[in-house]
Amino acid sequence: MVAPEVYNVSQSPITSHAFNADRTQVAVSLNTNEVQILSRSGLDWTPTETLSEHDKIVTSIDWAPNSNRIVTASQDRNAYVWQQASDPLTGRLVWKPTLVLLRINRAATFVRWSPFEDKFAVASGARAIAICSFDPDNNWWVAKQLKKPIRSTVLSVDWHPNNVLLAAGSADMKARVFSAYIKDVDKRPPPSVWGEKLPFNTVCGEYSSPSGGWVHSVGFSPSGDVLAFASHDSTINVVYPGGPAVYTIRSNSLPYISLTWTSEDAIVAAGHDCQPVLFSGGPSGWQAAGSLDDTTAPKSSVGARGGFTGSSPVGRLNSAAFNTFRNADSRGLGSSHGGGTPLATDTELFTVHQNTITNIRPYDGAPGAVSRVSTSGVDGKLVIWSVNAVSGLGTKLKALRVG
Amino acid sequence: MSNVLRPYLAAVRSTLAAALTLENFPSQVVERHNKPEVEVGGSKEVLLNPLTISRNENERVLIEPSVNSIRVSIKIKQADEIERILCHKFTRFLMQRAESFIVLRRKPIKGYDISFLITNAHTESMLKHKIVDFIIQFMEDVDREISEMKLSLNARARTVAESYLTAFSA
Amino acid sequence: MNFNFRKIDVDAYDEDVLLETELYDPDPRGPQQVIEDAKAKAASVRTSLAKGDNLGALVTILDNPPYGPNVEEAKNLTLQTVVTVLNSTKATDIPNVVRSLPPEAQDTLMKYLYKGMSLPGWGDVSGSVLLGWHEKLTEVAGTGCIVRAMTDRRLL
Repeated sequence: MVAPEVYNVSQSPITSHAFNADRTQVAVSLNTNEVQILSRSGLDWTPTETLSEHDKIVTSIDWAPNSNRIVTASQDRNAYVWQQASDPLTGRLVWKPTLVLLRINRAATFVRWSPFEDKFAVASGARAIAICSFDPDNNWWVAKQLKKPIRSTVLSVDWHPNNVLLAAGSADMKARVFSAYIKDVDKRPPPSVWGEKLPFNTVCGEYSSPSGGWVHSVGFSPSGDVLAFASHDSTINVVYPGGPAVYTIRSNSLPYISLTWTSEDAIVAAGHDCQPVLFSGGPSGWQAAGSLDDTTAPKSSVGARGGFTGSSPVGRLNSAAFNTFRNADSRGLGSSHGGGTPLATDTELFTVHQNTITNIRPYDGAPGAVSRVSTSGVDGKLVIWSVNAVSGLGTKLKALRVG
Repeated sequence: MSNVLRPYLAAVRSTLAAALTLENFPSQVVERHNKPEVEVGGSKEVLLNPLTISRNENERVLIEPSVNSIRVSIKIKQADEIERILCHKFTRFLMQRAESFIVLRRKPIKGYDISFLITNAHTESMLKHKIVDFIIQFMEDVDREISEMKLSLNARARTVAESYLTAFSA
Repeated sequence: MNFNFRKIDVDAYDEDVLLETELYDPDPRGPQQVIEDAKAKAASVRTSLAKGDNLGALVTILDNPPYGPNVEEAKNLTLQTVVTVLNSTKATDIPNVVRSLPPEAQDTLMKYLYKGMSLPGWGDVSGSVLLGWHEKLTEVAGTGCIVRAMTDRRLL
């Protein structure tokens, strides 16, 4: 089984990451208002350039593969589009920013280029999504806003392959599909399962999970006919708009906050559980297939505690923590002076990521057949996983020792 | 009853694990601000249902989650007047030094003895399962501390009374 | 113009703010229908308990619970019935019962456990019984079930 490639990029959380077209460079935001461009050098990533224009933390980055432009969005209500140009003084290629007038009065939370890279969508806390397109007459980016019927911060967006439809998940517990058709930029799209003749700001569908919960991430399938969204009630919902229905996959673990489709019948999702999980299915039903993280393989220090976000979702209570409390209860051994082994061995989790995974993006493979995905998380790690290396969920933790 | 202690602490642990799913969330009300939503309480949709875990009427833990912060309030068992006074003094001591505890709140929520406020900044810089361990450890230790203080208080009172009254014996 | 315009809470007049009631879909049955359903289920549960069928009783009472405003009587009746079933199940049977519950019933049971624990002296509520059920339910349904109890706005 191919082991995941793990890169310890920083000690602080990675808020967002985006690779360039040939995966030699990656733009990351390290929980600050600067964007760092890292270039691959041997087995590691070294910082080559820093883009600093924002005043507040950069929440989202997207790198357009064909036109080689980067768009960044930040909590300071601004977005910048960066293009590489030769610096007149040194002659090197540097990234030059162009301000985008979003006209939002709250933070920008998420940004994505459209498939044809002529527009991008910025989700914001102003209860609106700004669709930005380039105006060549004035040489700047202008924004049109999707407002109704969004009632709360928009947490994530995803474009449909036809460049017109946009899915948005927001904190008012709903996932919606909008039409983001801009008159002079888009050609009229062919009719799809989501509808036809769709002027700007038409709502093609509004979905929510039965037990509520903020929609953290949305994604269209490679064909665009199916919508999946991850919501805070630990479910993944897959919507087939023409029918049959909406499939809700309940999970026993903590909520997922990011998902990506790897093929028409497989989704990889990751979140507070610190490991990417593969879901597979089709129009007849969906279920969890397994985790991409093999948690039975011995890591550098075998933790005595499983940690509550380990791979054994519910067996955790049968683990060392349980034993420790049983000792405390029956034998009066407090957890502070039990055993002789110091509790320092249980600070590492069994998963590769040590804290929440915030971003998962396709890394290798065509849009319908992704073979590798990249994840970045709050622990400052960037990991590239192979989608085919699936191990069973709920694999037992071997050789647990009571701390 | 010590055989209820184990499931009580296990229930608190699993509920805290489920509640500590925090993320950075900029304020919807004020631009360029980032506040703990559970303290502001303005936008109802980003707050989650508060959950109570109780062992009996005198010992409860209230967990109020939201998108970027949680508030954990503990009501400590106080059986008699002496324990009430000791608990009040002890928690006051801790709360006056709340800065070194990082996650402690300076004032408890009404109806409870001590409160913690954990935000997404804390979960980003600290390990989540260690924060949970800390709270559980705190709950165990506080009970033990108060019993020890009460015992030593009673022992001192007895010694003082004895030595005072020996002056009056024949 | 005698009022304290500086002390007006501007945010209270914001029309765009989501209200608590808009966060979930209201119960499609009317209040009368809900209370009748609750009474019918309570009666069916009593017969199941008399036969010793704790699992069937639990499945009945956890199906379609009353939620939302205006149905206080139905909610109290359902909570009392749930507590009776929980108290009357033997500790050794609890893991089997929990495992055989359908996933929605597990989520509803978790919500009732928390509701019971928030009212420690109410009716027959016993903290140790509820904690025992909570432990076994978390072993089977995981922390995801607890997260759903937190996010679901249909308050029982």
